[in-house]
Order: sequence, then C-alpha cells, then structure tokens
Amino acid sequence: MSDHGDDARDADDHGGRVARLRAWTEARALTALAVLTSLTLVVAFYYPTATVLVEAVVVDGAFTLGVFADVLTDPFYFGELARLLSGEPPGVVARALLSPDRRLGIVGFTAYQAVLSTVASVALGLPAAYLLARFEFPGRKTLRSLTIVPFVLPSIMVGVGFVATFGQNGTLNAALSALGLPPVDLMFTLEAVVIAHAFYNAPLVARVTTAAWESVDASAVETARSLGAGPVRAFVDVVAPQVYPAVLTGAALTFVFTFGTFPIVLALGGFELATVEVFVYRLVRDLNYAEAAALAIVELAVSLAVLLAYLRYEARNATSTRGARPLPRRSLVPPSRSARDLLPRAGLAAYAVVAGVVFLAPIASMILASVTGGDGALTLDHYRFLVERQQTGAAFQVRPWPAIRNSLAFAGAATLLALPMGVVVAVLTTRRYRGRTLVDAAAMAPLAVSGIIVGLGLLRGLVFGVEIAGWRIAAGGAVAIVVAHAVAGYPFVVRTVSPGLSGLDRSLVESARALGASRARVIRDVELPLVWPAVVAGAAFAFAISIGEFTSTVVLATGADAYTMPVAIERFIGRRLGPATAMGVVLLVVTGLSFVVIERLGGDHRGL
Amino acid sequence: MTTDESETRRRPVRPHTRRRFLTAAGAAGAVALAGCSAERTGDGDEGGDESGGDGSDGSDGEGDGETPTLTVATYANFIDAPSVSPGEWLKEEFESRFDAELEWATPDNEVNYYVERAASGAGVDADLYVGLTTEDLVRVDEELDGDLFAERGSVDGFDDVREGLLFDPFDRAVPFDTGYVSLVYDGTATEAPETFDGLLDEEHAGALIAQNPGGSATGRAFLLHTINRFGDGGVASDGDGEAVSGEDGDADYDYLDYWADLQANDVRVLGSWDDAYTAWSEGEAPIVVSYSTDQVFADMEGENLEEHQIRFLNDQAYANPEGMAVFADADEPELAREFMSFVLEPDVQGEIAQRNVAFPATGTAELPSDYAELAQEPADPVTFSYDELQGSVDAWVEAWERQFAGN
Repeated sequence: MSDHGDDARDADDHGGRVARLRAWTEARALTALAVLTSLTLVVAFYYPTATVLVEAVVVDGAFTLGVFADVLTDPFYFGELARLLSGEPPGVVARALLSPDRRLGIVGFTAYQAVLSTVASVALGLPAAYLLARFEFPGRKTLRSLTIVPFVLPSIMVGVGFVATFGQNGTLNAALSALGLPPVDLMFTLEAVVIAHAFYNAPLVARVTTAAWESVDASAVETARSLGAGPVRAFVDVVAPQVYPAVLTGAALTFVFTFGTFPIVLALGGFELATVEVFVYRLVRDLNYAEAAALAIVELAVSLAVLLAYLRYEARNATSTRGARPLPRRSLVPPSRSARDLLPRAGLAAYAVVAGVVFLAPIASMILASVTGGDGALTLDHYRFLVERQQTGAAFQVRPWPAIRNSLAFAGAATLLALPMGVVVAVLTTRRYRGRTLVDAAAMAPLAVSGIIVGLGLLRGLVFGVEIAGWRIAAGGAVAIVVAHAVAGYPFVVRTVSPGLSGLDRSLVESARALGASRARVIRDVELPLVWPAVVAGAAFAFAISIGEFTSTVVLATGADAYTMPVAIERFIGRRLGPATAMGVVLLVVTGLSFVVIERLGGDHRGL
Repeated sequence: MTTDESETRRRPVRPHTRRRFLTAAGAAGAVALAGCSAERTGDGDEGGDESGGDGSDGSDGEGDGETPTLTVATYANFIDAPSVSPGEWLKEEFESRFDAELEWATPDNEVNYYVERAASGAGVDADLYVGLTTEDLVRVDEELDGDLFAERGSVDGFDDVREGLLFDPFDRAVPFDTGYVSLVYDGTATEAPETFDGLLDEEHAGALIAQNPGGSATGRAFLLHTINRFGDGGVASDGDGEAVSGEDGDADYDYLDYWADLQANDVRVLGSWDDAYTAWSEGEAPIVVSYSTDQVFADMEGENLEEHQIRFLNDQAYANPEGMAVFADADEPELAREFMSFVLEPDVQGEIAQRNVAFPATGTAELPSDYAELAQEPADPVTFSYDELQGSVDAWVEAWERQFAGN
C-alpha cells in the first residue's frame, strides 16, 4: 500500500496516469489471467484432445453411437456389467456378479488393481507423512524434498530396479535366504504391480499429507487438551479432520494415475494383467482410432467420476484455518521408556524396514545396475558411454547434456506457467456458484485423459496445426512442450492450493478489499502468503510432472534438439541396460537436487 | 496482528522474492504465445518456418545450384542406438558420394506419423522412409485413400535383392535388410526345446518370456510364427470358412489352442522387448523371444556366448524384411531413388547389415567372412505375405488378446 502513497505525493500528470493505469490493470488482472488460462487450456489441451475423442462418435463423417455401444456391451471390457448394458435383467447379472467365476472385464480389472494400488499407496504414504510432520531429526527437510523423487522415474528404470530387487535372483531373496527364510517369487504377479504403483504414488500421498499435517494449528490441539481431551481424542477430533482431506486428495489422484497405468503393468505383471490403457495404446498403434477413442472416453468417465466424488467431499469438508503455529515436533529418540513413547517409534522403525525394501532397494538396484558391467563386475563404462556420447555423438543423436539442460529449462518454465494457472483456477473454484462442479471437472480433465490420446491430439492440433483462412497455424518445439507440461502439471497446483484457500478466513480478504486493494492484489499479498507451503508443494509437483513427462514431449519435440532426460533414457536402451540406467541415475541426481532447491527457494513450511 | 507482518519483520526478503517470483510466473504465460508459426497453405511451397526448427535453417530460399537436401525418415534406432547404428556412417558416405545433404527425421510414431501428416493435409515433409515392414504397408494402405508412397521407379541394384525378401505386391518398397525373430536362451541354465510342441513340456514350465504382440515387433512376429505353424482356426475369415491352415497339419488345433497350452505352461508375455530382455537378463526365465543376431551384441559386450544361445524352433524363424520407399509427394524423388540405389550397393549393404546388426537384402553384399558365425540364419525362414496379412492381422492379434487377458 505504501507505494500508492508515494505516487500520490509527487503526483504530476504522468505519475497519476501510471498509477491509474496500474490500478486499472490490477483490477482486471485476475480476469485477464483467467481468460489466458482458459485459452491456454483450449489450445494445448481441450481442442487437441477433442480432435481424437470425437472419432469415437464420428466415423467416416457420420455421427454414430455404434462404436460406443459395442464397447459398452462387450464382456471383454465390461465383464458381467456388459450383460446389464446389453439389456439382460439386473437379477441375472447380480447373481452372475456374486458367483465365484464372475468376469470383471478389462475395465473392471483396471479399477480393481487401481483400488488395491491406492490402498497400498496410502498405507505406505501415511507413516512417512507422520514421520516427516511430527518428528525432528537431522536431514528431515532434505528427506521431505526427496520423497517426491520416485514419482518422476521412467517406467523402464522402475522395471529394472524391481526385477533386480524382487526377482528370483533379486536382493530381497538374497536377504531372505541369508536369514534362513524361504524365497518369495513376486515378479509377474498383481502384487508386484501394486507395489510398483505404491512406489510411484505413496510419495504423492506422503507429500500432500505432510503439508496438511504441518498446517494443523497447535493452539487448537492445546485447547482440546486443556478442556480434558486425551491425546487420542484430541487427535481424532482436531488433527484428523485437517489431515483426512489431504489423504483423500492423495488417494483420489493415485486412483486416477493407476487407473490409467500402462507400461509398468506389462513390465512387471504381464499381459494377463493388461489394463484399459494397454488396449488404447494398441488400438492407436494400429490406427483403429474409433475404438481407441471410445475406450479413452470410458477411462475419462471413470477417472472424472472418482475425482468429482472426491471434490464434492472436499467442498463440504473445508476446514477453516487462519494459519498459526504448527505442532511442535518430537525427537526420534524416545524421551522415556513408557509405552506411549516407545510404541509409535517402534512402529516407525518397522515402517523404515518396509520403506527400505519398497523404495530404497529398487533405487539402489538402479544405481548398482548403472555401475555393473556385462560380466557382473563393477565398472564405470556406462558413465563413460555418456561422456563419449556427449563428446562424439552426431548432431542428430541424443546427447546427455542437452537432455539435462532441456529437462531443467522445460520444467522450470512449465512450473512458472503452471503456478499462475493453478492459482487462478483454485481461486475460481473456491467460490460457490451453480455449475462449479463442471468447472472443477474441466479443470481436472488433464489428469484423467489417456496420455496416448493427448499425445496424438497434440500432434494433430499443434504440430500439424489448423488451417484458418488459407494459413496453417502450427506450434511445435520448446514452447509447445513447456505449455503442454504446464497443462499436465497445473491440476496439482489447484489441488494443493485450493483446500487452503477455501479454508481461509474470509474476513481477511474482506478487510483488504475494504481498504481498497484489488482482488489480484489480495490474492498476491494476503491469500497466497497464507497458503504458501501449499504453493511450494504444488510447484514441486508441477516440476516433477514436467521432468517425468514422455509422451507429449516426443510428439512436440519437432526439432532434433528438444529432447529431455526421459527421452534420452529411452534412446539409450539397448541389449545392455547399462547406458540407460546410467542416464537414469543422472536423472535421479538432477531431479533430487532440483527438489531440494525448490523447497529451499520456497522457504520453510510454516503452518497455514 | 497478522502472520504476514511478523513474518516480514523476521524475513524482510521473502515477500519481495515471492512477489518477483509471482510476477515472473505471470510473464511466463505471455511467452507461450511466441511459439506459434504460420504459413500459407495450398501452394506447396516449402516456406515453413517451423518454430523449434528441425535443424535445417537453410531450407528456405533454396535456389537452383544450391546443394539439395534429402530428408530421410526412419525409426530412432537406425540413427541412434547405444551400441551401433548405421545412420551416421550412411550420412557421411552418401554426402561424400553425392552433391547433397542428408537429413534424418525420426518421429516417435514412425510410419504412423506420416499417415497422420498425410491425413491432416499438412504435407509429408520427408522424401523417403527407411524401415518399412510388410505390416506397415498393410496398415498404411488400409488407412489412407491416397498413396503415401510412390512406385519404386528405376533403382540400380534392385535385381540383386534376394527373391524371397520382396514383400510389397505394389512394388513400392525395396528391401534393404532383414532380421529373424527366434528364441534366445541361456545355455548354462537350460537346453531350449527343438520344436514348438517342446515348449509345452513340463520341464519348460515358466521358462519362456515373450512380448505383447500388440505393442512389440518381436512379440508380433512370434505370434505370427505360431499362426503359421498351427493355423488361425478361421479367426480372420468372418465365418466364411476360409482358414489359414498351419504347417502342423492338424486342422482342429489352431494358434489359440497352442497359446492356451503355452499359458497353462506359464509363459510370460511382457510388454516391450526391453521389458522381456531385462527380465531374461536378470534370470527370471531362461528363454526369451528375441533376434537371431543376439550373439553379435553379446560378443561386443564381451559376454559369455554360452549364455546367449539361439534356437530356431522347427528349424524356422520369422523373417522381418525391412524396406525403403519414396513418399508420393517427395520434394526430391530422384535424389531419393539415388539414395535407394546407393543403399543397395555391395559395400553399403555390408555396412548396414553390420551396423544395424541384421542381414543384407542383396546377394552381393560385402560382409566379413566370419559374420555368419555370430549372426545366425535359420534353414527355413517363415513370413506372411502382404496379401496374407491384409484384413487378417488385426483379427489375429485381437483374438489372441481376448483369450490371453480375459478377466
């Protein structure tokens, strides 16, 4: 506010105009940003995706629901449900569903494994959140920054790490036999797929939940305790309601991700466990677009239904907060020998063992694979390959350094673009109005559409462009990649920022407005600072999404010089996995450092 | 009063950095508009100033007398693989023999990218495609009404191409190399069976890793090989009774029956070749579907060849000849045909075979005398012709999927 006062004091004409202009733009900044965000989404997501999805209902230029009907009534996709959709009496179908040899269909099975994966991710993510939010130990902040690393690893790396860890000759069996225990054969089972999904998504649950847990107001807990509530009661009535929505956020996102899962299922499970996305991929590859689009719409409908159900819950259960002191953290070393001090820490110790097997062992196996030669001896050959490729690679070949540079540049730019988009959408969706659900759903759609379909749409809509009045407008290369990454990442910003914003005390905003601040200014100087930890978490997610993105990147990298680290990893796969794993370790290190830097830049989490 | 104030006292820098940060983020949106390009359509003039560029800044304003540019589209591994790839050598050699510049294009969707390009009216933007398979041609011809590829025209050396490799009935694609999909097994862990039926034996339970026929070339080749062996049971004939009969001579036992038995014997069908080969390398199973040139790579890496044995089931392997064809609306069709002639020359054929780790398409290729020691060819190569695949291959794959993954 002070600079306004300065302006007024030496108000020559010019200064007055500038001030008026500034006030005018500030007053409209939010609207302008909202319009820009919508435009970006239409150009880089809705229109391209629609060009593909429309093929489900428009075949050879004629409108038809035949393709859809075929998919919906196909027991292969919908199991017993297909019989209901094809008009069999519900009673018969219900009996069939209850019988032991019921058919789930591909869609049913995909949902089933997504539910299992979600449960596993929450089970593995929650203890980590508890540890990071409630205990103090050296390296806690760094560990919190690094939790998100598994989220960005390419599936080929995770595949290598998992086979090396859980395979017949893997680390786990070696450890078990050393302890005199029988070996386990996890590979190519549903369990392996679920664990891999937890590897990817438990960090997501942990990260979101940690942020919420750290924002619980200590004084509320103290009040409850002073009124005679026991520690359990205080937790259930005060802490849990504020943490619970965040856990559900993580769970909903995990379901959507694992429902659209594709390469990891085939790498670690096998074709018996094929998901819907496997068939979308095959149909697109065979240019069978109608059926592919119909399946993708089915996927979209299921994912959006889950997201909307969750969003309705979130809207009803916004917990009001004014941001204050976070709960004091406890030391990991038990202060006394009482059961109350020992039990949670013993639980965490047990969890540490499980986390070591699920998260650290596969990553350690990847690193080990990158320094192991064909004869099993330790070697730096694979890193030497990276250096050689960098020095002697032809101009049209993928080299490590440009891949690192591009990845960081794209991710940085995409994050800077995703943040305002996400904040604007979060502000718009925290208000109550008719049709808000639709806006919510539209805003979340980028999470729910099959990546393969989005890639194809970007090819048609952006790379080939559209013809308008004799001109072909096209976009490809670095800028298009950044925009596509931002579109993919901004829903995370919305989901992390939105709950905090809706929980803010409205009187703060109203007083600022009454004092003459524009809406944009209130967001910038009042609201965002109060939910800053959530903004930082959203930024980290947007960054992670960009770093890990593959499908859209290869489509839009029209030049020979816009490739990223995941593209380089894919390109370095050969008979020996060494070069690819070495590049994977580079990705691991670069992204790990980036997350630490992002969190440091964002400052420490204070309570909301 | 508010947290904001107290925080400002403690950390005077933060709000400013945050504000700067937010401003920067706002500015990022404006930049997004800068990446578009516009060009006039309909006059066929190559005036595209594609943002992001394709490495050719000199493509505009080319007059006569300037060095022409030949754009060769291919799959990524042809020019860029961690072991060896022919791309770099071919470019240098071609440019040293012809007054032309060669430019590679490797779109991720490979041929499908050009199908999409042609369908969208955006112009094909390349002169020829290197790496076509029979199935690619079948798919392209089914999808597009117009012609994506031009007729072969006159290509020197075409008469040297081995008879059995010619796979395009419309004489557009010229084969330049071929590979064989076979079993690779670890001889220190098992002795692979001699026949398809042998894979069903108790002793080979869980021993084989294959790939998804819907997403992997090796997986699809192996599936086609089983169809060739056992017949398709009339899957693709829409019930008009015409079935592909298998070599096994048993009309009542088709490839789906064989796969049901394989599944009962615990075959693993993973996603891509990488998935399968990784799992096999880690010792998850002793046999994997791969290429018959596996020992060449193993030798490069100095690995124990005993662990990289090749098995041709029933002395057969599925042949995947690769071809090249000129795009119908190529800018440099003559230069493209000169490139095809160049690729068929004996020394170039030998180099491509070695650098692509495959077998030459011509009978006149110059190969080192010991090449056949590591790169093995089956006594009886098997492959489906264009006509056999047309209208069938989708149905074959789909029927297999529905049986194998029926939940």
